[in-house]
Amino acid sequence: MSFARTHIKGLVFSDSRMAYRGLTLFTPVHGKGVWLIDMTGKQVNQWQMEYEPGCYGELLPSGNLLYGGKVDDGPLSDMEGAGGILQEFDWNGNILWEYQSHFLHHSFHRMKNGNTLVLKWIELPKKIAEKVRGGEPGSEREGVMWEDMIQEIRPSGKVAWEWIAHDHMEPDAFPRCPLCPRDTWLHANACIELPDGNLLVSFAKINTVAIIDKQSGDIRWHWGSPGELAHQHSPTMLENGNILVYDNGYHSRGLALSYSRVVEVDPRKNEMVWSYEGPEGGELKMLFYSSMYSSCQRLPNSNTLICEGTTGRIFEITMNHALVWEYVNYLPLCEPSPIHSRSYPVYSAYRYGINYPGLTGIKW
Amino acid sequence: MSIAKTALKGVTYHNTQKTSPGYTLFSTYNYDVWLINMEGYIVNHWRMPYSPGSHQWLLPNGNLLFAGMIKSHEEMGLPVEMTAIGGALLEVDWDSNLVWKAMIPYSNHDIRPMDNGHVMYHSYYPEGILPDEIASRMKGGIPGTEFDGRVWGDMVHEVDREGQIVWEWKAFEHLDPELDASCMLENRTLWPYINSLWICKDGNVLMSLRAANEAIKVDYKTGEVLARYGKGKVFHQHDSIELDNGNIMVLDNGNHRPVYAPNYSRVIELDTNTDEIVWEYKADFPPDFYSPVCAGAERLPNGNTVICDSWSGRIFEVTYEGELVWEYISPFIGHQPNMTTTMMWRAHRYMADYPGLVGKKLNPKKFPLENKLFGPDTFNKHFTPSIF
Repeated sequence: MSFARTHIKGLVFSDSRMAYRGLTLFTPVHGKGVWLIDMTGKQVNQWQMEYEPGCYGELLPSGNLLYGGKVDDGPLSDMEGAGGILQEFDWNGNILWEYQSHFLHHSFHRMKNGNTLVLKWIELPKKIAEKVRGGEPGSEREGVMWEDMIQEIRPSGKVAWEWIAHDHMEPDAFPRCPLCPRDTWLHANACIELPDGNLLVSFAKINTVAIIDKQSGDIRWHWGSPGELAHQHSPTMLENGNILVYDNGYHSRGLALSYSRVVEVDPRKNEMVWSYEGPEGGELKMLFYSSMYSSCQRLPNSNTLICEGTTGRIFEITMNHALVWEYVNYLPLCEPSPIHSRSYPVYSAYRYGINYPGLTGIKW
Repeated sequence: MSIAKTALKGVTYHNTQKTSPGYTLFSTYNYDVWLINMEGYIVNHWRMPYSPGSHQWLLPNGNLLFAGMIKSHEEMGLPVEMTAIGGALLEVDWDSNLVWKAMIPYSNHDIRPMDNGHVMYHSYYPEGILPDEIASRMKGGIPGTEFDGRVWGDMVHEVDREGQIVWEWKAFEHLDPELDASCMLENRTLWPYINSLWICKDGNVLMSLRAANEAIKVDYKTGEVLARYGKGKVFHQHDSIELDNGNIMVLDNGNHRPVYAPNYSRVIELDTNTDEIVWEYKADFPPDFYSPVCAGAERLPNGNTVICDSWSGRIFEVTYEGELVWEYISPFIGHQPNMTTTMMWRAHRYMADYPGLVGKKLNPKKFPLENKLFGPDTFNKHFTPSIF
């Protein structure tokens, strides 16, 4: 439901007995700042940035903030999810580390060994691009289809490990969205390291989440296509080994009723074991929808924090779908872009519990 | 996000200098049809024996023509795409007394009163199901998603005052299975998924084909397709109508648009000779206006356009320049199969001099209870949005 003018903004609802107590970190898409708020919506910390987000910030266990910024003069800076710079700040906003590449996009992840996983665009060789089906012929970007490269970057900026999609995935193995322009092939939008060292990746344009074997680069597991996911975001692995993912529902198959879902999948059985499809009380499905962005996070008390990206709505629900906390972003950091509605969209949101190591010693 | 807690209701904006004032007619999915004035006061209320299959018209004689739903698509064992299934055509007078009725078991989507008193309606009769040979040539849609292995084709009928069908049109006999192909992400349950009918000044019929992303003009005499409009411009559109200037106005819902960007709907006016877009309305921030289902638009005498944003239960009016001058958020909650919703199918604005309204007492005081519950004096009184 995108008509934002009549919606309440700020803290809308809070049930302090049921909600998972902690701080919520979010990055408005049309701003230059990262905000950390408490359960009442009060600001606890704010980092002012030089760059607009490309696409979000994350609080590390060290208490530092790792932030993806968007560099405006890059060759691909008008692509969805464009980045260009990664910056690490301390609590007070001092820059500790920086990494630049015009081809950075969407997601990044600080690994256990201190290195950083990044996503980069790279040109897909023309001969392979010709074999990729789906999308209007000629809708490539100046004749080029871009594919995904995942790199592990050392603190020094050197590349420790690299994965290029076409080395491990056949051009026709996964049906690509027939409606999306052919400027990108798989369009990864998230990549994280799993406890066993393998990587969990979301490929938006083939509606698939996959686990990549870190040793061989092979796809060990995949799910979502055809027909389950539609341009999803934000996969994570839960402690029970299941995968939680935000299924945006954009360009979904069938009647094209626009609604999002958050789904938990058991990768051992490829079975959906839990889902949230909107508020209770009838199937008000389309009241929960974000065509783009968005995230989901399972919290230690088994609640789920959901960021409905395009409306800037961050809310927490129990396993039984009861709403226990809701906050709608309204921070007027800069003019919202005309294509993105009067709502103040947010790419993703994270809740850090009071015992999170990165918050040790912080007064709030 | 509960509807009541977070949204203003009723008339939320009214620029009295710039509207084309009149009375707005709409139905909700709970047996009610409402006529409201520009302030949002209820000036007539029809209570129907059925929930709406699609929508309703105020006829020039002051009666109401209404498509009622007798059985849902689920009860009839039909696919979800046929969720606007009807079953009954009713004409009732100003006080809801039955004047005329026709039972039309497979009616779906649009109904259109005709000058001769007949009613044109859209339907899915089993005889419209595509022959295998045509189904195999029909392009588009997701392979394997046929309904019990078959593709239901659309039909259009005209029923006279005696309830006899006097004209019928079968889509598969006249469409081109390649040229009029379905969207690649649609199910192959239906083709071409007609969702609006309009009788043009030349007597021919304008139809919106949702799955084929186009509007067509059909020769009333021969059934032949005379012209195609909007291909590549509209996506799962509704309500293609002919304007007084001869152009065609379409509500382009915009789902399954071949881009990767937040969804938005728009209203466009197409030149019938060139198929060029000569007028367009979309919201200043386009996703503010997005209805994945239903929706429609009408051009008003002063050049304004009244738009029914069906999914949000919102009716609003914009000037030719696109300025919002009136907005109404429906306070009525209704029920559709598997759905509780404020949605409406389509709204119509009638000017005060419309023949069907002449001589009618349009006094809100006739409906004290309704206005107490749903009128402008009640809504928003105890609710002030914290931030605009």
